[in-house]
Amino acid sequence: MNKLSVGIKLEHLDYSEALRYLGYGGAAPDEKTKALLSECEELVLQAASVRYVYKIFDISFSQAGIKVADTSLCLTGQAIREHLQDCGRAALMAVTISAGIDRLLRVLQLKDMAKAVVADSLASVAVEQACDKVEKELQEACPQYYQTFRFGLGYGDLPIRLQADFLRVLEAPKRIGLEANSSSMLVPGKSVTAVVGLSDAPLAARQRGCQTCSLKGGCKFREKGGRCNG
Amino acid sequence: MAEDFRQILKRDYVVFDGGMGTMLQAAGMKMGETPEVLNVTSPELLVSIHEQYLRAGADVIYANTFGANRYKLEDCPYTLDELISAGIANARQACRNVKPEALVALDAGPIGQLLEPTGTLSFEEAYEIYAEIVEAGERAGADLVVFETQTDLMEVKAAVLAANEHTHLPVVCTMTFEANMRTFTGCSVSAMALALEGLGADAIGVNCSLGPKELEPVIAELSRWTDLPLVVKPNAGLPDPQTNEYNITADEFALLMKKLRRYGIKVYGGCCGTTPEFISALSQMLAGSGNEQAVRTGIRPAVCSATKTVELNEPRIIGERINPTGKKMFQQALRQGDIDYILNQALEQVQAGADILDINVGLPGIDEREMMVTVVKAVQSVVDVPLQLDSTIPEVLEAGLRVCNGKPIVNSVNGEDESLKKILPLVKKYGAAVVGLTLDKDGIPKKAEKRFEIAEKILNAALAIGIPRENVLIDCLTLTASAEQEGVMETLEAVRRVKQELGLKTVLGVSNISFGLPNRVLVNHIFLTMALQNGLDLPIINPNIPEMTGAVRAYKLLAGIDKNSMEYISAYAGQPAVPKIVPGAGGKKPESAQAADTAPSGGSQTAQPGDGKAALYQAVLNGMKNEGAQATRKLLAEMDSMEIVNTVLIPALDHVGDGFEKGTLFLPQLILSASVAQAAFEEIRKWMLENNSAPVSKGKIVIATVKGDIHDIGKNIVKVLLENYGYEVIDLGRDVPYQTVVDAIRKHNVKLVGLSALMTTTLVSMKETIELIHANNLDCKVMVGGAVLTPEYAKEIHADFYSRDAKESVDIARRVLG
Repeated sequence: MNKLSVGIKLEHLDYSEALRYLGYGGAAPDEKTKALLSECEELVLQAASVRYVYKIFDISFSQAGIKVADTSLCLTGQAIREHLQDCGRAALMAVTISAGIDRLLRVLQLKDMAKAVVADSLASVAVEQACDKVEKELQEACPQYYQTFRFGLGYGDLPIRLQADFLRVLEAPKRIGLEANSSSMLVPGKSVTAVVGLSDAPLAARQRGCQTCSLKGGCKFREKGGRCNG
Repeated sequence: MAEDFRQILKRDYVVFDGGMGTMLQAAGMKMGETPEVLNVTSPELLVSIHEQYLRAGADVIYANTFGANRYKLEDCPYTLDELISAGIANARQACRNVKPEALVALDAGPIGQLLEPTGTLSFEEAYEIYAEIVEAGERAGADLVVFETQTDLMEVKAAVLAANEHTHLPVVCTMTFEANMRTFTGCSVSAMALALEGLGADAIGVNCSLGPKELEPVIAELSRWTDLPLVVKPNAGLPDPQTNEYNITADEFALLMKKLRRYGIKVYGGCCGTTPEFISALSQMLAGSGNEQAVRTGIRPAVCSATKTVELNEPRIIGERINPTGKKMFQQALRQGDIDYILNQALEQVQAGADILDINVGLPGIDEREMMVTVVKAVQSVVDVPLQLDSTIPEVLEAGLRVCNGKPIVNSVNGEDESLKKILPLVKKYGAAVVGLTLDKDGIPKKAEKRFEIAEKILNAALAIGIPRENVLIDCLTLTASAEQEGVMETLEAVRRVKQELGLKTVLGVSNISFGLPNRVLVNHIFLTMALQNGLDLPIINPNIPEMTGAVRAYKLLAGIDKNSMEYISAYAGQPAVPKIVPGAGGKKPESAQAADTAPSGGSQTAQPGDGKAALYQAVLNGMKNEGAQATRKLLAEMDSMEIVNTVLIPALDHVGDGFEKGTLFLPQLILSASVAQAAFEEIRKWMLENNSAPVSKGKIVIATVKGDIHDIGKNIVKVLLENYGYEVIDLGRDVPYQTVVDAIRKHNVKLVGLSALMTTTLVSMKETIELIHANNLDCKVMVGGAVLTPEYAKEIHADFYSRDAKESVDIARRVLG
């Protein structure tokens, strides 16, 4: 199954998430920041264009890593192995809110850096919210499977260097205009690639954990006693 | 023997082949593999697929070379040449076996890396990549080259230029549009047509993304914007989400394609999901009845960027502000390479109502050619209006034309033979429009009659080398009224005649009319109105002056061009019918003009004589930009600029910075304060220039986001903060090569460099950059920062300082530079 759509529309962005990205911890924003949030939300929603593609594959576990059937892709690392442990299939997904956002952020950085910073964090929120919707759609499309949370490329020890191959398997450049540069950074910038495990049987509840995170040790959220997953 | 592609385009219709990926996957190819490798490893499979398409009726087949480029073949055991020559050879073999007169196309898809400004691939690199491909294709014996499934007009331009400059191959371009009539990068159908016809493509069209039914509006639009032969290669409908199979049959496909014939399409084929069966049905359908000839309406005069087309069918404003002549701030920005200053000028003019921006960066002592390239690229990364490239030097114009996305205007050619000989071929080659100045070796003629004659001469010279009439715009030249009063009406008469008798669009630089007179705006906008009434299409003005933009808007309303006064009302809605008479008021104003005119909002922050320092301090604390700028202006009359920086701005910023460190204030507030300080510095800079004083500088710092890294918002925040503390920041941008950093340190003799990296994959670039700095024995400290960086890693790569946030970078700068 291969799903391509532009049907997802974002209507409201979660301010509290954006504030967390901005380093607020639990602190309340002042009036000026609140005004910035609402103004920038409008700009981000206007500039964002959600495009996504996902495809479900059979997976098999081998010495080298997790092989994605009918493709040349092999997911390596301990973290993804544990993540997909009880799954016979996985959905590969790629989501972007497209290049209009990159342009918006460029312009705002010239005109008004405070707006740029707030819009940047709201755009990060936007792409995550888009991912949530894609996961939900996946669930609705295949209710027979139990889903893991989405595991991003570059998260834990799943190499970010897989980015280009991952995108190629999904034909993401052609289908949603998403590419990776030579450093495996996604372009347009506000984009996500992730793996969702699918199982026929209920899965043990698992959290995104700090222990598997590649930012372990340098995390700004942890310094302030928080965590990035709420 | 293969025929000539340009000859077969004269036929009633031409059939191209169908999907290749579809056929290869059906034969067992895995997703993610490099299909071009099969050219060498399974030639018999490729020959067989090509043969099937030829038997189905294809006149032209695409070799299996879609992804054969330097970037995609990085880890491939075969070279570009091997895969392309094998690919062409397989196709040729199939032709020999089945249909010797058929043609073989070299097929080139997108490189697979987004170009700047969204991505990091430069136009120049893209050009080189395509040059390699087309050279290999021509060597291998391709009959034509097809650039297909393209989404970025800039990338297609690189490809077409590479083909034109490196081969003799005919060129076909097809781009991929979504249902919203745009490509992923926002390129519009009209922009594609205007730009690619101008560059000399032999045929253009669309492929992939949608089926023939959904593509109809795109094709209809395309047929309205070009006279070139059109190519249509749709998918076999839309993919079914459950099965990934396309939703129409071969016969349905053929029927739908038949419907598209009314748009005068010349070339028919298929893309994803189409097979020999589809092409066979298509061939039969086309053979069944004659190809209806569509009536093309002819090309409408227009210029464009990739995303915005400006039709020259009504008065359009050309913004004149990107020009250093007589502007100290602008000159300083050019000399210091301060591109952000220029970009703000661009944004301000577009916001004020400019439809097109003139770009002139000529200044003694700078490399105008290089600057033109830099500024054109930068400006089109933030605004979407078409550009007018303005220089007297052909090399500068050509450099700008190469990197300009869309169809620009060249400013200018004149009636001298030398000028016509040098400029017009450039205009032709790059498919631009051109402004012809009605002057020649004897200067500007006094009489309209003679200017008209020169206009005619320019037009004829343009037509003679194949520049279409609608691309010639004539500037009858404004003379200064105070010096040559009788010349005013001559200019207007010349405008009228050029418009009426030659049918050409007219351009006029307006402001020159009032040189040497008081109240210039008054004279300027009245003259502008007179010129519009005489047929002026493209006034070159300062759109930031409300009377000027207002004159154009009001004229359009009164002349019945602005239907139902829509444009006028949207510009002035909310303003009273009788505005208060304020000098220089009216119309929507750009921010800087507002900042200058707006009275302080009142309350405790209002600056009073004597408490100027407190007012500025409070303005910074509270993030109030206009108040900050105003307080600074007042203070400058009373005290030294350095004193303002040291005793007010820095303590206020420290105050905010402390709050940020303690966690009582947060990033948006820190930056709001920083932008007040920025506005204050702007005032200080202006003051210094007016008084010819040396600019405030506590020392220079080079900053860069390292090679391969494109997320630069963090670096840009650091820049703002450092500048606020009086440091001169040399910002090298993002994705900066190691050597560029070293060169900048050396050139500017700086003692501190800041490097930023966001990704684990780019930390290695940071390390390499530091190693190169050290290898060059530069006496320069290195501070590093970025999301994934840790103090430990900073130490490991021998950075001198780790900066956890923007505030700390200021502390480091103070330690190093004082």
